[in-house]
Amino acid sequence: MAELNTHYLLRHREVPDIDQIAVYEAHGGYQSLRRALRDFTPEAVLELVKASGLRGRGGAGFPTGMKWSFLPNDGRPRYLVVNSDEAEPGTFKDRELIEHNPHQLIEGMIISSYAIGSHDAYIYCRGEFLRGSEQLARAIREAYAHGYLGDNILDSGFSLHIHLYRGAGAYICGEESALLESLEGKRGQPRLKPPFPAVAGLYGMPTIVNNVETIANVPVLVEKGADWYRSMGTEKSPGIKIMSVSGHVRRPGNYEVPLATPLRTLIEEYAGGVWPGKLKAIIPGGSSVPLLTPDQIDTPLDYESMIAAGSMLGSGGCIVMNDETCMVWAAHRLVKFYRVESCGKCTPCREGTYWMTNILERLESGEGSQGDLEVLLDVADNIGGKCLCPLGDASLGFMVSAIRHFRDEFEAHVREHGCPLGAKRYDPINH
Amino acid sequence: MIRLTIDGQTVTVPEGTMIVDAAEKLGIEVPIYCYHQALGPLGACRMCLVQVEKMPKLVTGCTTPVAEGMVVHTKGPAVEKGRRGILEFLLINHPLDCPVCDKGGECHLQDYTFRYGPPAGRFAEAKLERLKDAPVSELILIDQERCVLCQRCVRFLGEYVGEPQLMLKGRGVETVVAPVDDRPVDSRFSGNIIDLCPVGALTSAAYRFKARPWNQERHPSVCPHCPVGCPVTVTAREEHVVRVEGRPIPEHDWGWLCDRGRFGYDFAVAPSRLLSARVAGRVVPEVAAVRHLANLVRTVREQHGAAAIGVVVGGQHSAEDAFYLRHFAESVLGEGVRLAVSQTVKGYLPLALNGTYDDIGVADAVVLLGSDPYRAAPVLYLKLRERWRRDPQLVRWGVGVRPLSRPTLPLRELRVGPQEMAATVAWGLFSQRPDDEGLRLLTESLEGWQPRDPEGARALAATLLDSQHLVLLWDGKEPWMEAVLGVLTRLRGEKGTRVLPTFGPPNLRGFEWAGIPARWGALEDLLQATVRGEVRLLWVLGADLLREIPDYALAAQALERVEHAVFEGLFPPEGSERFELWLPGAGWSEEPGTWANLEGRLRSVAEAVPPPGEARPVKSLLTALARALRQPWTPPEWNPYLGAEGGLLPREGEPTAPARLPRPEPTAGDLYVWGEPEVFVGGYPSENLRPRRPSLLGEIHPVDAAAWGIGEDGGELGIERFGRRWTVTVRPSAAAAPGMLILPLGAAEAPVNQIGEGPASVIPRVEVERR
Amino acid sequence: MKPHWRQWVEEIRQQFPQGNSALLPLLHRIQAEEGWLSPETLADVATLLNLPVTTVESVASFYSLFYKRPVGERVVHVCVGLSCALKGADALMHRLEEHLGIRQGQTTPDGKYSLMEAECLAACDLAPVAQVNLRYMGPVPPEEYQRLLGEGEK
Ligand SMILES: Cc1cc2nc3c(=O)[nH]c(=O)nc-3n(C[C@H](O)[C@H](O)[C@H](O)COP(=O)(O)O)c2cc1C
Ligand code: SF4
Ligand code: FES
Repeated sequence: MAELNTHYLLRHREVPDIDQIAVYEAHGGYQSLRRALRDFTPEAVLELVKASGLRGRGGAGFPTGMKWSFLPNDGRPRYLVVNSDEAEPGTFKDRELIEHNPHQLIEGMIISSYAIGSHDAYIYCRGEFLRGSEQLARAIREAYAHGYLGDNILDSGFSLHIHLYRGAGAYICGEESALLESLEGKRGQPRLKPPFPAVAGLYGMPTIVNNVETIANVPVLVEKGADWYRSMGTEKSPGIKIMSVSGHVRRPGNYEVPLATPLRTLIEEYAGGVWPGKLKAIIPGGSSVPLLTPDQIDTPLDYESMIAAGSMLGSGGCIVMNDETCMVWAAHRLVKFYRVESCGKCTPCREGTYWMTNILERLESGEGSQGDLEVLLDVADNIGGKCLCPLGDASLGFMVSAIRHFRDEFEAHVREHGCPLGAKRYDPINH
Repeated sequence: MIRLTIDGQTVTVPEGTMIVDAAEKLGIEVPIYCYHQALGPLGACRMCLVQVEKMPKLVTGCTTPVAEGMVVHTKGPAVEKGRRGILEFLLINHPLDCPVCDKGGECHLQDYTFRYGPPAGRFAEAKLERLKDAPVSELILIDQERCVLCQRCVRFLGEYVGEPQLMLKGRGVETVVAPVDDRPVDSRFSGNIIDLCPVGALTSAAYRFKARPWNQERHPSVCPHCPVGCPVTVTAREEHVVRVEGRPIPEHDWGWLCDRGRFGYDFAVAPSRLLSARVAGRVVPEVAAVRHLANLVRTVREQHGAAAIGVVVGGQHSAEDAFYLRHFAESVLGEGVRLAVSQTVKGYLPLALNGTYDDIGVADAVVLLGSDPYRAAPVLYLKLRERWRRDPQLVRWGVGVRPLSRPTLPLRELRVGPQEMAATVAWGLFSQRPDDEGLRLLTESLEGWQPRDPEGARALAATLLDSQHLVLLWDGKEPWMEAVLGVLTRLRGEKGTRVLPTFGPPNLRGFEWAGIPARWGALEDLLQATVRGEVRLLWVLGADLLREIPDYALAAQALERVEHAVFEGLFPPEGSERFELWLPGAGWSEEPGTWANLEGRLRSVAEAVPPPGEARPVKSLLTALARALRQPWTPPEWNPYLGAEGGLLPREGEPTAPARLPRPEPTAGDLYVWGEPEVFVGGYPSENLRPRRPSLLGEIHPVDAAAWGIGEDGGELGIERFGRRWTVTVRPSAAAAPGMLILPLGAAEAPVNQIGEGPASVIPRVEVERR
Repeated sequence: MKPHWRQWVEEIRQQFPQGNSALLPLLHRIQAEEGWLSPETLADVATLLNLPVTTVESVASFYSLFYKRPVGERVVHVCVGLSCALKGADALMHRLEEHLGIRQGQTTPDGKYSLMEAECLAACDLAPVAQVNLRYMGPVPPEEYQRLLGEGEK
């Protein structure tokens, strides 16, 4: 598997100030747009994206071209909505993209809108991303000033307006239908599906929701072509992916890798290896996915291999935990996240995450009792597959896998009325 | 139609039906909290989990539409475990004190837990603390700890009624249902959230701790407060009505009530209730009163014949009462007794033109002819709004002297002058069909006259003629409208033309069915005969002539002139000193009977409690009277449902033939006094609803208000009409057209029928103050 | 209600004419000026956008970045997401609480600081990370907590 020696998405790593339009243009920026508008019909762009095999980078990995082709052809206005709500613990790639390379996203949005026939595109930007939204706002202004946005872009007859919308603190607004509710000025609570956004999305109109990274790939595809893209990764997971690595590694950060790069390469070579201590567990794809154990470190980073290994590539948020990490503590931390971020609409997620948090809190503080673990797993079973949106299930991924792989550690908490890692464990309070 | 199998049974349902509703058709219960057919699927509570073959996970039966050949299981280990799980979740933050909960015994959480629930609580931690027993209004309490966040209340008020007074506040497990601080939930439909709440989170303040489900009786009944006649369930305990709830009737009625109907039952125990008989103001034993009445009858009959007796029956009585009265009058009192129904307007609608609520469901156009159903027939208004929400293409017109449109049910408006509605409609129709003989006759007198908005009148006429299924609501104010409606119906031929009369005493159709003449003319004749001295004994039952009939002067003269006036009813009427004999009557829920609503649909009112004090039902009064007269009378057997198929009165009676419409006269004066039925003002007294009665009764246009020195907060206004002066309280209101003073009918403080509808002059402020 | 809010509504409506979409942008803008969203402000917003007050309050209550209580001049959000927690976020929070004499979620009596927990701020490469008035600062090892308070600045 070839290592990337250049960046395609994180180009700011090589080109400083690429967030300035002049610099972006000087390095080939907006050439893909010119090319698409000049040489491609919208259908041809769609075909290109389909041929590339690009899959959504927001977490679910749904083939992007296929999603676009679900739009009904009924003359109603269509919208492209870019999901920049990035809040999945451990994931921080979209933030870097919008802060440092916003024009590539905008260029991608214009090409994508051209492909799907949208004349109004929206960016839903996480509320906490103040700098990100400032960068986007500036980049959008620049793009208008240079004729890349507005009416009759580059004399092509195609028009597009981009609207930047700030969220206000709610993880659930990353879920596409909750995002649309929020974008319509409502509480960010997921909608019933069907209808899917492609049929009835923003303001009831056909809508495509895509992740920032997904769309940032589009100019690259136009420039390099589908074959080039497919030369990396696997048949089902072609191309490149940004992996966010954090936790106990020497060099936390975002790394752009060809898909199917082994997890080991990512952690040991890119991120400088586990530090301090020794590897205990890895969350490979954001907090919603089950953990992998050290013996699985050679799993390739692609959608199918990750599923085969019992986890998911998800959003590419890779959290590395060393042997000083208490799994009960980590599970508590993550489940509490879902408790705080549950929208509250459906019962199992709302009440279940609350209950699990309580039990884990008790276990962690050494006040757990026999049977707590069974209750915990049963509560998880009562949540699993019964919620309105995937958040409820997401809350279980890590915890259930942690119990599966480190059951003794959970039981020891009850038996020993506290954490068996004892003094060895990193104790934040008395630090 | 779609065929599917549920628990091994096959059922065929229309496309789009949800699994839970299909199951219900088979009598299979799928537990639900958040789902309600009228509100549509939400999928929030997840209580309705079922298993569908070929689907990997359990699905919510309330959000999953049926599909051909689908195989559904509502039982089995997976479903049962799923349900148990959900119930357990709902209980973790729910107090487990059913015995002290007002909903105990009729709570879905309690029931489902009993049926499907987890054996014992595994939740060991502290429950979240929240607001308990906090009023969201004077009428309703909220207990957030009991709430299961099904959102029914929020969605009902917000989406269904369009008055979003409750909200979800917070997020996740911190979410609660709450009003905005200091803004009470005062929608006139607020009480429905009590019925909708599947648990004890929303309860009635009035009903609180009044009864427990196991020591009460529940009776099917009908609301007596307005012509809509909503089906209700009456709960009685220890001889008192303690609660009224909506009673859904599958496929016909969701069971919504307005707050008047739900909370207004306390009239029965109002302090002003007549509990004993009086002669000349003095309390006498009932037997003495009956003897007195017998003497009056005998004397008058001997001296002047039975034709000198007049009987007027009003809205507090059942059809049976009316039937007994007629029979009694004919067989005991004698030939020639005059009978009439007390009226609130002069208009009449023949049953042949009368529509049903089901017509609304298929209408493509709805035209309000002066009716403001929101005020006069609230649940009818809800029905219209629901229809419009389901079909936003529904053509909607409001024809009136004042705006009838509201944001929650926008209408295309056609403004007419007072007494110009029939003329405007006929003029418009004639402009479209100049060849029609009936229209020519109707409009002959309008030569050279033009409606205020000729364009609008033509456009309305186009709707009236072209729509496929037309539903008209009529306020009954201009009696000659009947002829116009008759012509319109004829012109439309095969196309559906249905009128819903929003006027009249609640049981008008019932009295008519019992054989009492129901047109204004009958009452007018009777009263004129009284004024002429032909009627010597006027017996009024359950009516308040001086307060309700449109011709106050006539009623006043009649009562002035008549030798003997006798009154039977629940409350002493206006001008009660004119009645030498008062008989306490039994009212709604105090005797069994049949009531007809504005559809002309019969429904039974159960006897839930005994009449208080010496009050007695008409039947027993008449029996006693016959005995006192020494004339044999056995109350006849009468089944009002006989001849009324499906409880619907036969559609018969011809509309009056077209005749020249009266030519509208220009009106002068500062303000035009306009009487408006308003269920929260007229009718029975109610302590419960006192907070809902507007403190400033009159409404004038904000520009007029400013001109007459009335501030935004309202104030007093002096008016003069026919040389008499009145002071009424008014508030600026967008509901009033310029130059108009709206007064609610039936209010003692602003007796609009006494003042009389028509132009009045305003007494300048200084003068009012000096007075 | 401030007169220029109407102007803002106009501007926002140009971008977001449909639905209630103007609501969040307007709340953001007004909060930036007012510091927080009082019930009165929310009622004003309802009037400005011709929305029910329940809608405005309900929406505002859903999002954690809309402050329903007054906050300090410096709002310090300490990320307590797993990646930051692995790097000492709890200790950082603890130090701040001790130093300021308040618990997370509270504001110092002098109105200078508010201390809040943030869920993963999507800056795990900077763990432990925090935001001061939504500007990132990180990594901030627990012992360097004072950097977040701007003490010594100016
Ligand atoms: C609870 C939840 C949170 C999510 N958060 C995000 C997010 O922050 N960013 C994102 O792009 N997708 C997120 N998603 C996935 C979106 O729903 C959606 O699938 C995605 O934006 C589609 O874009 P893609 O096809 O380009 O991946 C989330 C999904 C769930 C269920
Ligand atoms: S609409 Fe009329 S009949 Fe129905 S509840 Fe209200 S008052 Fe009673
Ligand atoms: S009744 Fe089906 S989810 Fe609530």
